[in-house]
Amino acid sequence: MIRRPKHELPVIPTANLVDIAILLIIFYMACSNFLPSSNARMTPPKAKDLSKMQEPLVVVTIDKDGVVQLQGHDVGGAADIESAIGELVRDKTSDDARTVMFKCDAGVSREVFQPVLDAIVQAGGLILAVGENIEK
Amino acid sequence: MRKRFHLRQLNQDAIPTTSLADMMFLLLIFFIMTTTLAKTTGFVTDIPSGAKGQQDTQDKTPTIALHDDKITVNDTDNMDMVQLRQYVARLRLDQRKGDGKVVIVAASGHVSYQAYYETLAMIQNAGGVVAIESEEDHK
Repeated sequence: MIRRPKHELPVIPTANLVDIAILLIIFYMACSNFLPSSNARMTPPKAKDLSKMQEPLVVVTIDKDGVVQLQGHDVGGAADIESAIGELVRDKTSDDARTVMFKCDAGVSREVFQPVLDAIVQAGGLILAVGENIEK
Repeated sequence: MRKRFHLRQLNQDAIPTTSLADMMFLLLIFFIMTTTLAKTTGFVTDIPSGAKGQQDTQDKTPTIALHDDKITVNDTDNMDMVQLRQYVARLRLDQRKGDGKVVIVAASGHVSYQAYYETLAMIQNAGGVVAIESEEDHK
């Protein structure tokens, strides 16, 4: 009778795996920004020489159907936008705090976007108009 | 026998961390799926309000009017986007000071946001200050 030697299964060391995973999570948490406007369907306008900007806290979006949203929630019209943004930027002195990100579909017509722009201006906000760079 | 084994396990000092890796990877997958690493591109503009009223006293302020099928400058010249770019470059807005930098942009009809945005970006990049003609100014 031949006795076969017992082979132990190789053990993969997984103790450091958690550390690596935690580091990756910290990286992604630091890089993440949960924009409330991310669900709006739109084609951004294109222009030349746009620069990279830091994203402000207040976001106004107009999707391709002309639906106006503030912080991801539907708003009735320009008057609502003006009062809501007025509340948000009131007592803010720095330009960064007063900046409102304006994301609008490229195909939306003037009747929809201009009252919203006027409302942001009247409320005392600076407009960060978001677009895409045209490839050179 | 089974109970004795269980007690022996409880006596160990080590914190059980076997499921920690699973939780970490679930969180990791969540953050990978939701993260957008793309930077926002655009321009910041501090649009002066009531600019049309100021224009009445400052006749030299250039006014770009966007219509459905044409672009006019100071109510006269018909231009396309290329000609408008050349016109804005000729204004040398970056070398001007104060109110001299102001360019009024007006839109009428069903002008798309694309045309409007391109015009604003053009003025902004040239060193100018955009003033929009608001709805009240049309009336």
